[in-house]
Amino acid sequence: MRIGIFVCYCGSNIGATVDVEKVAQEVLKFPGVVFSQTNLYTCSEPGQNQIKKAIKEHNLTRVIVASCSPRVHNNTFMRAVESAGLNPYLFEMANIREQDSWIHDNREKATQKAIELIRMTVSKVYKNRELYPKYFDLNKNVLVIGGGIAGIQAALDIADGGKKVIMVEKESSIGGRMAQLDKTFPTIDCSACILSPKMVDVGIHENIELLTLSEIVNVEGSIGNFKITIKKKPRYIDLKNCTACGECEKVCPVSYTSIFEAGLARKKAISKMFTQAVPSAYFINNKGKAPCRSSCPADVPAQGYIALIREKKYLEALKLHREENPFPSICSRVCTHPCEISCTRSLVDESISIMNLKRFIADYELKLGEIPLPEMKEKKFKKVAIIGSGPAGLTASYYLSKEGYDVKVFEAFQEAGGMLRFGIPEYRLPSKILNLEIDLIKRMGVEIKTNSEIKNSNEIWKLKEKDGFDAVFLATGANKNVSIQLDGENLRSVISGVDFLRDVKLLKIKKVDGTVAVIGGGNAAIDSSRTALRLGAKEVNIFYRRSLEEMPAMKEEIKDALEEGIKINYLTAPVAINGQDGKVTELILIKNKLGELDSSGRKKPVPVKGSEYKFPVNLVILAIGQEPDTNYLTTGDRTFEVLKNKSIKLDKKNILLVNKDGIFAGGDLVTGPATVTDAIAHGKLAAKVINKYLEGNSLDDIEAEIIKEEGSKIRLEPEEVFTKEALDSFEKISRIFIEKEPVNKRINNFNEVVHSISEERAIKEAQRCLNCSICSECHECIKVCEANAINYNQKEEIITKEVGAIVVATGTDIFNTDVYEEYGGKELKDVISAIQYERLMCASGPTGGHIKRLSDNKEPKKIVFLSCVGSRDKSKGMSYCSAACCMYLAKQAILTKEHIPDSISYIFYTDIRSPGKDYDEFVMRAKEYGTQYIRGKVSKIYKKDGKLIVKGVDTLISEPVEIDADLVVLAPAMIPAKNSKQLAEILNITTGTFGFYTESHPKLRPVETNTSGIYLAGACQSPKDIPESVAQGSATASKILALMSKDKLLTDPIVAKVDQVRCIGCNKCLFVCPFNAIEEVNLINKKIVKVIESVCKGCGLCEATCPIDAISLNGFTDEMILEELEAFSIF
Amino acid sequence: MNFINEGSKSLNVKNKKEDVKIVAFLCNWCSYAGADAAGTSRLRQPEDIRIIRVPCSGRINPLFILKAFNLGADGVLVSGCHPNDCHYSEGNFYARRRLEVIKEFLPFIGIDKRRFSYQWVSASEAQKWQKVVINFVKIIKEING
Repeated sequence: MRIGIFVCYCGSNIGATVDVEKVAQEVLKFPGVVFSQTNLYTCSEPGQNQIKKAIKEHNLTRVIVASCSPRVHNNTFMRAVESAGLNPYLFEMANIREQDSWIHDNREKATQKAIELIRMTVSKVYKNRELYPKYFDLNKNVLVIGGGIAGIQAALDIADGGKKVIMVEKESSIGGRMAQLDKTFPTIDCSACILSPKMVDVGIHENIELLTLSEIVNVEGSIGNFKITIKKKPRYIDLKNCTACGECEKVCPVSYTSIFEAGLARKKAISKMFTQAVPSAYFINNKGKAPCRSSCPADVPAQGYIALIREKKYLEALKLHREENPFPSICSRVCTHPCEISCTRSLVDESISIMNLKRFIADYELKLGEIPLPEMKEKKFKKVAIIGSGPAGLTASYYLSKEGYDVKVFEAFQEAGGMLRFGIPEYRLPSKILNLEIDLIKRMGVEIKTNSEIKNSNEIWKLKEKDGFDAVFLATGANKNVSIQLDGENLRSVISGVDFLRDVKLLKIKKVDGTVAVIGGGNAAIDSSRTALRLGAKEVNIFYRRSLEEMPAMKEEIKDALEEGIKINYLTAPVAINGQDGKVTELILIKNKLGELDSSGRKKPVPVKGSEYKFPVNLVILAIGQEPDTNYLTTGDRTFEVLKNKSIKLDKKNILLVNKDGIFAGGDLVTGPATVTDAIAHGKLAAKVINKYLEGNSLDDIEAEIIKEEGSKIRLEPEEVFTKEALDSFEKISRIFIEKEPVNKRINNFNEVVHSISEERAIKEAQRCLNCSICSECHECIKVCEANAINYNQKEEIITKEVGAIVVATGTDIFNTDVYEEYGGKELKDVISAIQYERLMCASGPTGGHIKRLSDNKEPKKIVFLSCVGSRDKSKGMSYCSAACCMYLAKQAILTKEHIPDSISYIFYTDIRSPGKDYDEFVMRAKEYGTQYIRGKVSKIYKKDGKLIVKGVDTLISEPVEIDADLVVLAPAMIPAKNSKQLAEILNITTGTFGFYTESHPKLRPVETNTSGIYLAGACQSPKDIPESVAQGSATASKILALMSKDKLLTDPIVAKVDQVRCIGCNKCLFVCPFNAIEEVNLINKKIVKVIESVCKGCGLCEATCPIDAISLNGFTDEMILEELEAFSIF
Repeated sequence: MNFINEGSKSLNVKNKKEDVKIVAFLCNWCSYAGADAAGTSRLRQPEDIRIIRVPCSGRINPLFILKAFNLGADGVLVSGCHPNDCHYSEGNFYARRRLEVIKEFLPFIGIDKRRFSYQWVSASEAQKWQKVVINFVKIIKEING
């Protein structure tokens, strides 16, 4: 080993403190050192030539330069060493300037320290090995994240340079913050006029692929080869077809607050972000399924028909309803309305009375005559048999018939309707209403064969195999009573709720005498009691084993029953039914108390010993539950399997398949007793599945499709729709009052109890809807779009792209000034933000460019501007300066004078910061316009006699100031964009103290990050104005084009290396590697790891983690560091 | 918990009050750059520290620290990027866990745990680095007596 050492004077930088000559002499004594030399400036060309010469003349095999920090000149010397024919990785530096001569005064000690530092370096260099970088291909596509002005500039420059650019923008249009501005400083040229040509260029550039409504979800790989995963949200508009004619916007019934207009205007759910938007196409803002819709088992778009009611489009509303549920009239009377329970409005005041709105449109249609037929598809000449004409069977028949199938329904009783007819009393659902909706199905061509019970499994197979039905849907419900397991159950005058209600409908029971006891707490118990009352019962008592809280019956029904004089005895259960001569006489009841939670999540009733008592009765109705009657499935030759809970066993649950030969089942037969809407949902699903099955799709495919469709639905929870502040801001309006038949007029007949509501009140109630999902999916836009551009079937897409470099240009957000309560927080309407003021001045803004006060629409004459609201204020905001505010306030003051010549503007400032070309002149111009600059802060703003009193201090004259202003404009701080931290994690780049992205070097590498291949442009790096953002955009482009001018890239050989023999494949290194640069490989029957050299960044975490020293980092091996330590210990 | 109080002292070849031997492991990106910045600003520091540059504080094998004491170091100092600010995004989180364990372990082998310190110094914190060095040297001198 022949080591040469070059000790640098660095002029007097080292020479003044360190005895350089002595050092050069001493180091010659170290083993292996054959040559040493001093240089005045080793880094200069003569200095470098000395190194080259010495390498050749003295056959040096290692070189050490003792001079400045390796962070300064390592690469310089490595190049010199390499040009002399020595591998550059055989070179090391000893830092005797920054870490010695510059920090010490004692010459003797500094000299000794220099010798020791070089000794340590000598020890390290013994272990240096030749290393060779590798070449790899680089992908020449570039990703630009963010479509603001910085991103636009970068994209255009790179695309003009001939490289493909993928621009990802999270909004529906590019443009960013600059698009919101009216004019720009210091030239006062129109922002849109200079921005929109650039936006158009991006839109039409052959080298730019624009992905709007998209976000980056994952980034893998490293410089030259990044793999990007992008989530693209649906626009619900085909970009190719949309001509931006705007017809859709006119009919859209929903509007929401526009963020682009800074909250000053509302826009339609289908709209363009702004006039000059690129792509020039509409966008449907659909946040997902509103809570009302997502809680509806049948997926009925409640928000949609409510929106249409608001627009007085009642028949359209019904049509929309029938797309998901064919029975609006029935459901408006008997549905358990989970939609109202989950309604977001209940977080403001009370939920929307959705069911009564539905009732209103249904009744409106009835008044017009019969229900119109839906659009029917062409006959398909295939037959489907449906067993059971309850809600599930009827729904399936409706949708299958609509699809063009010949449907025949088999019903055991003499009339169709199932539980709708025989389980729900007349006063809740009049037969007339039920008949009308069943008639619609008959008019569509469905044949309903009554009195046709299917008695055994043979008959089911016969339908399929002999009678030519292509599919069979079993929907026989759950109408068998559950036994109470008490003696006396079989006495006369003890009847089940189901039988009682049915016999009343069939006119088998016409009168009830004496005292009635109803056992149970469900809707059947309430229905039975109220029916018994109407048939003449003297007294009706309900006995329920738990308390009111656990009672499953609908709360309104319980309330109605109590009003009618029905007594409900809670925490009471029968223990015996006694009779005489075969007829019931009395009940023995016991009191319960509530214990632990049971499997249903309700408190278990526990009998209280000794609390039994007698209750004399004339009729006992047992309404304790139902289950499917599955006798017909289990008899015959080819029977069907039935589960323990008496429901039918399904082969594929998701598609309601019983048997691969085309037998399906749904409704209560599958779920056990459930709601009407649950049954309708099953009927609809069955129709969908059977249609796909009969179209020839495989059952596995159908199942996969249904699962995927379910999974892709975005369901909104009421709590996540609005922020708490937004909820608080809604005006409280109470829910509509529903009129009912008076108690004394209803308890002796079966007249409908709940009354319909008037049109006027319906519209008022519909206006309370908060439009949770924004787009209500009312489909009105589809009807008017001649270009056929609207496509509700668009789904969220995951796209992957491969690029070689990334530009991050995600911009900035605006500080929320509400924390400044002294400035009015949200309370003072005429204290607005600068971006709102910008929109007020803009000709395309909400006021058409007229500056108005938000409170009274009056033109303000005295305007006060406050700078540094959140900037340079550690106590409430950020400690940094937001860079652009001084300038845009000067601009706004100038423009104010131009808009309102007799106005006067005041600007409270901390310091005027106007460093930039023509910037200070611009501020002077503002002053010439009469703008009053006041150096100082504002302490309070309050309202007095229609004016805003601004109290502050002029610190230049140390006097308090008070201005009676008409309008106050706050200049809020620029803060890092929302989610910028998450993006930093995805990209593996760092953020600084405030969350802005960190550049590689604040002066010398301002647009690079510490992750090679990722560059920064614009305000995501720190607050900046337009000229600076544009300059950075171009700077990133030039960096990237320089990178892309190479065909191959060199890897840094300072990477980890695995000793294949020692590695035991424990994978510990794999888990700690921050870059996924380690992968598992098989090596002859042994699992070990391998380093992906192009991905490894050389941190060495793996080496410190490896329990058996099988992985080491080139240039920083354990061996090298331990050698350095040994050398450290010598002295 | 010092079973063999000040055991390392016997290994110290110099064992003089004024002269102490301290080795410091600094990550290349933050603390080494911070130490350089201290130099550039000519922030005076005691001469007792020898710096070994490593790519990341997470690269530091606990063995290095024990080895350094074994070889007679009076003190060992480690410094890296501030948590959340690691150049390699998470290396210093691993470092923090390991170094804390090492610190707690030292008394069991008879080394005063004040002889070991780990710090977070960024590239811009030149003055902080100076303060860290001055304080640490002072502490070591106090322990050495």
